[in-house]
Amino acid sequence: MAMEYKNVRTTDISRREGLLSALDDLAPLPAPYDKNGLEPAFKDPKPEWAETNCCSLDGFCAIDTMKRPETQEEEDELKVKFLKGLEKLFLDANNKYLQPLSLTMEYCAKCNTCSEACHVYKAANGDEIYRPIFRVDVLRKLYKKYFTRSGKLLGSLTGADIDLDWETIARLGESAYRCNLCRRCAQVCPMGLDNGMAAREIRKIFSMEMGLAPTPVHAKGTQLQLKTGSSTGLTRPALLDTLEFIEEDTYERTGRKIKFPLDKKGADVLLFHNAGEFMAWPENPAAFAILLDEAGVDWTLSTDVVGYDSVNYGIWYDDVQAKNVAMAQFEAARKLGVKRIVIGECGHAHKAAVVGADRMADSEERGVPVESFLPMMAEFVRNGRLKFDPSKNDFPVTLHDPCNIVRQMGIVEPQREILRKIAPQFREMTPHGVDNYCCGGGSGFAIMNSYNFGDFRTKVSGRMKFAQILNAFADEMENPDIVKYVCAPCSNCKGTIRDLLQAYKATARYNVQYGGIVELMVNGLASMDRPYFEFLEAE
Amino acid sequence: MTVDMLVSVFILLAMFGFFALSLRKAYKFAHMQIHARLDLYPVPKEGGGRAAYGGSYLEEPEWWTKPRKIDRVNEAVDIMKEMLFIKKLFVHQRVLWWASYSMHLGIYVMLGWSVLLLVSVAWHPDWYVLAVTVVGVVGFALSTVGCVLLLVRRVSDRVLAKYTTPLEYFNIVLLLTVLLTGAYSWLFVTSPFEVAAQVFTLSATDLPPIVLVHLALLGIMFLYIPLSKMSHYVGKFFCFHKVLWDNDPNLPGSSVERRFEDAAAHPAHTGWSAAKQQAPTSESSKG
Repeated sequence: MAMEYKNVRTTDISRREGLLSALDDLAPLPAPYDKNGLEPAFKDPKPEWAETNCCSLDGFCAIDTMKRPETQEEEDELKVKFLKGLEKLFLDANNKYLQPLSLTMEYCAKCNTCSEACHVYKAANGDEIYRPIFRVDVLRKLYKKYFTRSGKLLGSLTGADIDLDWETIARLGESAYRCNLCRRCAQVCPMGLDNGMAAREIRKIFSMEMGLAPTPVHAKGTQLQLKTGSSTGLTRPALLDTLEFIEEDTYERTGRKIKFPLDKKGADVLLFHNAGEFMAWPENPAAFAILLDEAGVDWTLSTDVVGYDSVNYGIWYDDVQAKNVAMAQFEAARKLGVKRIVIGECGHAHKAAVVGADRMADSEERGVPVESFLPMMAEFVRNGRLKFDPSKNDFPVTLHDPCNIVRQMGIVEPQREILRKIAPQFREMTPHGVDNYCCGGGSGFAIMNSYNFGDFRTKVSGRMKFAQILNAFADEMENPDIVKYVCAPCSNCKGTIRDLLQAYKATARYNVQYGGIVELMVNGLASMDRPYFEFLEAE
Repeated sequence: MTVDMLVSVFILLAMFGFFALSLRKAYKFAHMQIHARLDLYPVPKEGGGRAAYGGSYLEEPEWWTKPRKIDRVNEAVDIMKEMLFIKKLFVHQRVLWWASYSMHLGIYVMLGWSVLLLVSVAWHPDWYVLAVTVVGVVGFALSTVGCVLLLVRRVSDRVLAKYTTPLEYFNIVLLLTVLLTGAYSWLFVTSPFEVAAQVFTLSATDLPPIVLVHLALLGIMFLYIPLSKMSHYVGKFFCFHKVLWDNDPNLPGSSVERRFEDAAAHPAHTGWSAAKQQAPTSESSKG
């Protein structure tokens, strides 16, 4: 069966029946997962999902809001909307992406250099639909067929050979959510083309023209954030309760008193966390508080609407939503009159605020400069404002490079400078730095669990990262007495790695732990009386 | 006007057309509005040794207060590696590189050969003619071999064949036809030096039919290349310089700010149907 999925053609996207990939031939994992039998099986999709949604790409369903039309009229209306959206990608409505998209659409030589760079394609052992050019070639062919003179005149001679029906549209939309937008493919393209960016452009047709986006990123993502202040649904009063709890809990666990400074006007630093940290990993904001206090930084958190959640899911699927969120965040910073915004451990928030917002509004409208926490922390380590006892972190540590921070912003060395100073057994993954593999949770996958999508993340998009982790700890992996720490300075990466370690029982069986970089810094602080990590306390 | 003269005028106009159409394409890309940042690292212009590992100015604390370190030499070296050696393909897909590089290098040599032929109209000592002949043979050999290898690979490789459209085959076949008719003409029919002298001085008479066919196809190719994806010599510049390596921040007084303001002064005429601007609500303050 596997070969059938490797021979799929772009024209098969409009096929009425069957899957285009059944994911029945995944890349093997390194030891000990080559024979320990701990890899979880896929959960079978329920047949009724396919009756209402599109599960015909590979059995998974990402766009839960995209319902199968019940009548021909509904299907025709959907086609009209899709074509309008496709056309707008190449009109001035899309000026902010017109040049890069036009270049990618025009110049692809289909040399497939990008395929070998794609972690999803490699994880699926070469199933055609995950090839970075597959979905973009479908888009190219449809655009040619409906909107170019050559396509209209010469038809299939120019490649304009795909029929447009519900299956085509739905599968194309789904396929855009099989790409983590990590842009590793663009890095190797001999022409400099960007199939990752193009996958996001497909997502934009669905969201910005057809009003279709996965619930976790839109309705329960940007919309919830603009409505309540956070994509987690955390309101201001709930935030205040949570912060109080973190202060008390930190004191109980570590004997260290912290007090989160709130809404401090004119502070030097407004620290922006992914609000998921407050809920899922409270030790992360607490670690920031300990470090900033010890370094003597004049800092604050905002409790203003959207001012306490750095996430911006818009950058994954919708330019307008991205701008709505970004501008609200800058507004919160402006109100406080802070000197700078510092983004905490959240990769996509880094990119959204520093790189994305850079050309959403001019510097006056943004009002406050913004930077990553990593250079600031590296400076504190370098100049001795933070003092460490590295022996506290004397266990194997490896570093995951979040794509948004590293490949897409060029922040590579500060985190390494920190780790070299505080973690004596630090070792790199292979590949690493700007050549890293995505964790598998990028572009929304980390929070997308509708239907069976979590399985895709755990077994396919996160597969190469899991293999990297196993390889990084190859010598110690099978010894559960040795703590092994995966340092992931990004909330969504951390969540994905948590899910990987849980699904493959790597923590339970092999003592592979995970967390951010600030927790590791606090654990290694000379001034700490007790271990900061609970897993060390247990020892 | 004779056929010979018609073909001579056509080929000269086609050469001019090649440059004019290529410039028009470059103009089109150059005058698109400023786009969102899509910088991707490593960016070779990043100074202070950062380009070597993919770092950027964003590694500096309070980066907006620090002077940018730009390494134009490293940027130029990187560009030259890509232009002269197609480095990325060499690194990431060596098998295809042999064919692609042979063809591209052959075309570069042929371009040089064309210029040398033009010079030969006015100046043609024996040693020069010999040297130009050698250059021509090398150019034809490299580009023809590369072209054949690329065609064979496209036809025989399961994946390449699947994604290659008839028009893309046509591109390679057109190039190959021009090369083969040229090689046949210059090897077996007449001297390229004589034809060049006649064509460039618009005094062509009694050109052999195969030469006329070759020149006509060459002219068609000159005009067709800038209109097809073979114009990637234009696009590639923008892909790297204006997209992947464009990481200049939008700071007060910067050129980015000026371009950003220009764009803002020309709002879009079209808009998206399902995307609305939204401000946050005050629901956050509720318990």
